[in-house]
Amino acid sequence: MSARDSILDAVRTGLGHVRTDPAAARREAAALLQDLDAIRPALLAEDLVEAFVARLVTPKVAATAERIADAAGLPAAVARYLEARGLPAVVALQPAAVLQALDWSGFERHDRVAPDETIAVGAARWGIAETGSLVFHSDAETPILANFLPLHHLVMVRADAILAYLDDYAAATAGQRPPRNVNIITGASGTTDIEGSLVLGAHGPRYLHVVIVGRHPGEAA
Amino acid sequence: MSNDRSVSSPPSSPRVALFVTCLVDAMRPSVGFAALKLLRAAGCRVEVPDAQTCCGQPAFNSGDTADAARLARHFIETFEGYDYVVAPSGSCVGMTRAHYPEALADDPAWAERARRLGERTYELTSFLVDVMRFAPADVKLDGSFTYHDSCSGLRELGVHDQPRALLGKVSGLTLKPLEGNDVCCGFGGTFCVKYPAISNAVVGEKAEAIERSGAQLLLGGDLGCLMNMAGKLKRKGSAVRAYHAAEVLAGMADGPAIGEEG
Amino acid sequence: MEQATLSFKARAERALADPTLKIAIDRTTGTAERKRALAMSQFPQFEAARDRARRIKDHVIANLEHYLLEFERNAIASGAKVYWAATAEEASQIVVRLCKEAGAKRVTRVKSMLGEEIGLPHALDEAGIDRVETDLAEHIVQLGGDRPSHIVWPSMHRTREQVSEMFKRRHRAPHQEETIEAMVDSARRELRDKFLSADVAISGANFLIADSGATCTVTNEGNAELTTTPPRVHIVTAGIEKLVPSMGHAIAMLRVLVRSATGADVTQYTTFHCGPKQAGDRDGPEEFHIVLVDNGRTRMLREGMREMLRCIRCGACMNHCVVFRQLGGHVYGGTYPGPMGAVLTPVFDGLEKSRDLPHACTMNGKCQEVCPVAIPLPTLLRGWRDRSWREGLEPGVVRFGLGVHTFFALRPRLYRLATAMAIRVMRLFSRGGVVRGMPGLGAWTAHREFPAPARRSFMEMYKDQEGGR
Repeated sequence: MSARDSILDAVRTGLGHVRTDPAAARREAAALLQDLDAIRPALLAEDLVEAFVARLVTPKVAATAERIADAAGLPAAVARYLEARGLPAVVALQPAAVLQALDWSGFERHDRVAPDETIAVGAARWGIAETGSLVFHSDAETPILANFLPLHHLVMVRADAILAYLDDYAAATAGQRPPRNVNIITGASGTTDIEGSLVLGAHGPRYLHVVIVGRHPGEAA
Repeated sequence: MSNDRSVSSPPSSPRVALFVTCLVDAMRPSVGFAALKLLRAAGCRVEVPDAQTCCGQPAFNSGDTADAARLARHFIETFEGYDYVVAPSGSCVGMTRAHYPEALADDPAWAERARRLGERTYELTSFLVDVMRFAPADVKLDGSFTYHDSCSGLRELGVHDQPRALLGKVSGLTLKPLEGNDVCCGFGGTFCVKYPAISNAVVGEKAEAIERSGAQLLLGGDLGCLMNMAGKLKRKGSAVRAYHAAEVLAGMADGPAIGEEG
Repeated sequence: MEQATLSFKARAERALADPTLKIAIDRTTGTAERKRALAMSQFPQFEAARDRARRIKDHVIANLEHYLLEFERNAIASGAKVYWAATAEEASQIVVRLCKEAGAKRVTRVKSMLGEEIGLPHALDEAGIDRVETDLAEHIVQLGGDRPSHIVWPSMHRTREQVSEMFKRRHRAPHQEETIEAMVDSARRELRDKFLSADVAISGANFLIADSGATCTVTNEGNAELTTTPPRVHIVTAGIEKLVPSMGHAIAMLRVLVRSATGADVTQYTTFHCGPKQAGDRDGPEEFHIVLVDNGRTRMLREGMREMLRCIRCGACMNHCVVFRQLGGHVYGGTYPGPMGAVLTPVFDGLEKSRDLPHACTMNGKCQEVCPVAIPLPTLLRGWRDRSWREGLEPGVVRFGLGVHTFFALRPRLYRLATAMAIRVMRLFSRGGVVRGMPGLGAWTAHREFPAPARRSFMEMYKDQEGGR
């Protein structure tokens, strides 16, 4: 008997040979995701963007955030961030059309993120207000390593792509073919492996700066 | 859980069996007499069944389920004729309420008797507060105390507020909070003699926390834990004196504290 | 490892005598306990979330065959290759074989307790493969040549001073400044090129998503993604109990897992891995292998330990365990320490070898109280004690002592006599309110006083007072 057969056989024996009715299992599984508000935290603010930003800047997430009206303002926002920290205007730019289309004059930029890259600019597909998370999908425009190699990671996310809860992300993509990687990124890289004391920049970015572009449809002008 | 708070008025003069517990019987009878006095003051007709011995917890926790089941049957036969069973120990009551049905799982009829008796079996302070709506009157003791919540009472029976509510009625007595009041003292029944070095390390930290509380008295609801903590405090040369909460509530804390010359 | 040959008690005594270890344990578990408490105070939905998490796991276990097959089907459809391993040896052999087939000289590993459980570090070393641990704590463990002592903080037993010394000795460009920040930076520099030059990446999985065939890893350092992206081959090893029906269920689990483990709301990096590199992808492995491991899990299903399969490896039980906090993790002698380890290790190593673990517990119930999936750990530990008793593994002196106790306790009159005699004997040894030098009480009195009994038992005095009414 193959290991597969012997394991499945042992599972059946262990469960007393009660067979699963797939339809019943689906119903039960769906029922376990009902009434989600009872099992998830309240948002920090009623407004999604406000709640997202409030979570991003909590000490636990320890990111920084700013809002701009239009994507065209991103290079200027990046320039301000770098200037304030005395960093050179040299950036690895995620090969995403939305970023590449902007006017980066005044920057020395490259597509490929180097192993010791100081600054990378990227674009997230979604933001999550519940946790202050950013969601990336691996694809032709999104190399995964670009999210992990730089020391400073500056990420643009559109205000209208901010979802309330992680569950809303799962619902938004349900039934689609998953990408190789879904990265849900919440703050900078951190470790507490030496005496439980938190240090940022363990392997991934030490700094995460989020630039929120535009307004959420529900937001007052 | 001791959540009979839905009961609007206390039962009138219920027939209550006092289970003194083997440790109180042998080591500190004053806790038993304090319990007797408190139950009577609360309006109970109290009896102390002569056939009572041990609840069987040492056997059960040692894995000797068969002997635990024998002792459980003995306990049930001894106590099931009363309206309520009360013991000055969360640990022994936890055994009867939470674990008798487990120990007797192979015997559905007995397990059912255990379950029914368990519903009427209470730790002393929770019985006084939750069932009898009792509050001590005219008890006075000048000093400060800190309170250790013994684990079985706390987690198996939900005993936490009741002793504090009762002790709050003792005039002159003030509570000094204990850091880690819900952390085990390292007694653990047979654990403390099977793994004495580990037990000692745990009770050592507990004794330090008790001393840091700045209280003059250490009170609790389980004699095993109290003997463990008092024994460690005494070995350290601490001035903190330990009593069972029932002794204080019954106005009987004028005698020697646990581990003091009597 | 000398530790392994010592008895549990000898290991415990050695740990208790090590003041540095105690400092290290307190620093990490103390912080973890405080952070969890804060997270709980900010999450009033915890009890409901915990109940839901428990029900999700119970649902999966009750339909395990269904979910295993669904996961396998979807994983294969995503381009993954799926393997099954009944034992630890089978699992590590499969991984080593896949590494060899890939011509691997260097493999990078993401911390996975299952990897430890199946002896993967050892198997890779034996096969002559350069193994690079990328989790900072596992890196420290690897440099120290020892074993993880905690499932979330594997190098919890090391103080900063010890880590500093190791890094200075072993890193190519070690830190100059004696700060934890500088040490973390030193590891960052040391590991960077290794991430990028590995041939194979090996990770575990926190969840297996049945309806997509994806695996999910959670880390705070970002080492999982740095590990699993560059190499040509990514191998996942996962226990068969890691399944959840869908991503939504994983999210519900994640909310209680992370808060229980570190007190954060969510891990910094939560990544779902589904199949190999897809057309157009800029990076990612060309091969994606998943090894599903039983290693005792179906036995747990059969032998009344089904609830233990809920465990999501958060470490809260050990952080809150009074015994663990005195001893640290190495004393437990297995892959998993603390209360959950005391339940699991006898499954892997046999009860005879690990009989002490389920006994070295005060049954205080704190572990169950903090468990995010409400595993009745004390009940499961008592189950091992019961079995140990039935299998005759308990020492004769314990059997005899308890036997005598039961004999008397079933005979009230004899019991009264015996109690009265015991009191009188103890009184003979009593001075100043305590019992001293009495044979049989040494385990107690070595460390603390034994309060002397009153002159007569309650029952004796009560009969006199009440006339036996």
